[in-house]
Amino acid sequence: MNASASTSENPLSQPAGRGEKAVETFYYDNRIVRAFAIATVIWGIVGMSVGLLAAVELFFPAANLNFQYITFGRIRPLHTNAVIFAFVGNGMFMGIYFSLQRLCKARMFSDFLSWFNFWGWNAIIVAAAITLPLGFTSSKEYAELEWPIDIAIAVVWIGFTINLLATILKRREKHLYVAIWFYIATALTVAVLHVVNSMEIPAGPWKSYSVYAGVQDALVQWWYGHNAVAFFLTTPYLGMMYYFLPKAANRPVFSYRLSIIHFWALIFIYIWAGPHHLLYTALPDWAQSLGMAFSIMLVAPSWGGMLNGLLTLRGAWDKVRQDPVLKFMVGAVTAYGMATLEGPALAIKTVNSLSHYTDWTIAHVHTGALGWNGLLTFSVLYWLFPRLYDTKLWSVKLANYHFWIALLGMMFYVAPMYVSGITAGMMWKQFTADGFLQYPNFLQTVQQIIPFYRLRAIGGSLYIVGTFLMAYNLWRTARAGKFIPEEKAQAASYRTQLAAHEDRAFSHRWLESKPVLFTALSLVAVLIGGMIEIIPMIVVKENVPTIPSVKPYSALELLGRDIYIREGCVGCHSQMIRPFRSETERYGEYSKAGEFVYDHPFLWGSKRTGPDLHRIGGKYPDAWHYNHLDDPRATSPGSIMPRYPWLLTQELDTAPLAARIKALRTVGVPYPDGYETNALAELNQQAAKIVGNLKNGQIKAAPDREIIAVIAYLQRLGTDIKAAPPAAKVAVNN
Amino acid sequence: MELINKLGGVAVFGVVSICLFVVVFTASMCWTAFLRRPFLAKMETLPLEDERAPQPSPDNL
Repeated sequence: MNASASTSENPLSQPAGRGEKAVETFYYDNRIVRAFAIATVIWGIVGMSVGLLAAVELFFPAANLNFQYITFGRIRPLHTNAVIFAFVGNGMFMGIYFSLQRLCKARMFSDFLSWFNFWGWNAIIVAAAITLPLGFTSSKEYAELEWPIDIAIAVVWIGFTINLLATILKRREKHLYVAIWFYIATALTVAVLHVVNSMEIPAGPWKSYSVYAGVQDALVQWWYGHNAVAFFLTTPYLGMMYYFLPKAANRPVFSYRLSIIHFWALIFIYIWAGPHHLLYTALPDWAQSLGMAFSIMLVAPSWGGMLNGLLTLRGAWDKVRQDPVLKFMVGAVTAYGMATLEGPALAIKTVNSLSHYTDWTIAHVHTGALGWNGLLTFSVLYWLFPRLYDTKLWSVKLANYHFWIALLGMMFYVAPMYVSGITAGMMWKQFTADGFLQYPNFLQTVQQIIPFYRLRAIGGSLYIVGTFLMAYNLWRTARAGKFIPEEKAQAASYRTQLAAHEDRAFSHRWLESKPVLFTALSLVAVLIGGMIEIIPMIVVKENVPTIPSVKPYSALELLGRDIYIREGCVGCHSQMIRPFRSETERYGEYSKAGEFVYDHPFLWGSKRTGPDLHRIGGKYPDAWHYNHLDDPRATSPGSIMPRYPWLLTQELDTAPLAARIKALRTVGVPYPDGYETNALAELNQQAAKIVGNLKNGQIKAAPDREIIAVIAYLQRLGTDIKAAPPAAKVAVNN
Repeated sequence: MELINKLGGVAVFGVVSICLFVVVFTASMCWTAFLRRPFLAKMETLPLEDERAPQPSPDNL
């Protein structure tokens, strides 16, 4: 790997006299680019295939074969992690490692760090693919991986960031092109987001609890979640757009001025927009309004960037007809424009009241994922492989077929999800003339949208078929050519350029030649929004009014909650009743911030494939839950919930109970000192009571099975505010 | 409403946020205004500079 390292720096440099150019010869590292490119293709196929399995399970729940490790709740996060961090992640590194070297006119700073980045990142993905099906999850969306993997992510990311910044520092090009700014913003912001959102206390080798609770956890999570979209799925890809689109079109970027405004406005605004994921929830209204306002403002820089991309093709539109690379790029940039117009629209509270928790959100994110990220990744792969292998693309025709199949797949995926989302949202809110819910049974709304789930699976299948065609095409391209592991290049030394640019002016031009200052200013720009939103939420006590009757979970309920997290129930069931009549009629009293103060992590959810569960406690007898979890269709004909027969047979593991109570106490849950010593006795007592209730329902169950803990947790949900507040007792004592 | 009344200075968060954005946006506009045409032309063509010979693009497709 380091064969050229000795020759990569300055082997032929000549002394530079004044006005004389010292030309240095060096080598670009193409091996690392190829490695990330291959990983992108492999993980793309894997991640999309897992998504297809999850999609099929939504209309055919038995597709999991009653095998717990591939149940929807467990493979849904596997799908999202695989496509975001494995497919797009490797694609992002592929684009950065190729373009950064060329824009800096320098080899990457360290081959060791490059390969540490590659193997470390892909080992993390393998760890995710193993642990998520096993149920090791924090349950926080797009941050599900447990604490050992979180630490590994931080270490690998630091390695990548050092390599990125050090390469910039040793560059031979004085000014930093706009793509590099986006890469810097990505590296810094992802690091901050990951560290802040992953603050958790370990309670075992593969179990941890978030240090934040309830509302605060929700705000931090969606500050992270939204900005994972912004700074993992968007800014690095914008950098790639600014590099690869001009390359493919052989045209300079339309407006460099616009790219500067695009960059600063985008990174500044994006970070504020997270609370739009929590509209009408128990999050304080001021935070919701900030999130909504900045989300709407976001459309301006996003469209500025989109237009800058499309207008780069001015005078080259005839090429788009023949060149599949440009076709994919136009498709990607157009999808970016559609998604970034739709996103702000969905952040408007009135629109969000209909769209939230429905498949409309799924349609929106897949316009971005399949369109923006997917198509742009494909375009870069088609552009890169012939260059890496010094040959022609094996089949332009096949690449064109891929484009149209992918586009058709997107249509079949996205359009049914829009119809499904709007249908479900409207049915949930529909009242009769007499003022009753038109569809009081949630299942009525589920049955209505199942045909769209089938269509979505067809769309996803088409998209995967296209990806297979690409993999074959790239493989044949590689076979036909000869790989160039070390690409020879020449450039004037940095010192020579400095001598030629002595007319320094105070402008962005000056800033672009100061990477350290540039990095610091970028960091300030992205931190401001998060700080203004998150710090008051944590330090201003009034943001979360306490409710005296809300108590920590009992030992049995705590273990039941952990199983609820393990099974990924939050993927389909929210625990947040919004203050709408349509929701309070269906589910009960709306949710209050003070009810979640002991929820580490929060489990509000973001999708209602099934009904909200926040007031499920006491709604049905224990026997109903037992039968429902064993076979949902036995109690709810037509349900698409998977069966959970293993909960009936697997023994409840009480060994980690003490460690979990201690961890929760550390993060502020007021378990009394020594509670862990008598927690087991209390657990057995509560379990025996549930077994007694089941016996009354003609069900014979052992008290040490997992299902008993899950029932205990479900029966506790939302019941605290119904209890008499202990304040009255205190008053008597006084 | 009770919660909003208790939260002193709620409006200041929104005002500060918008002001900060105006500052950032104005600053970036000013920066771009100072840029000179030759510099812009150089930066716009920067990605096109690094081609190695012989050029594989676009005839490779």
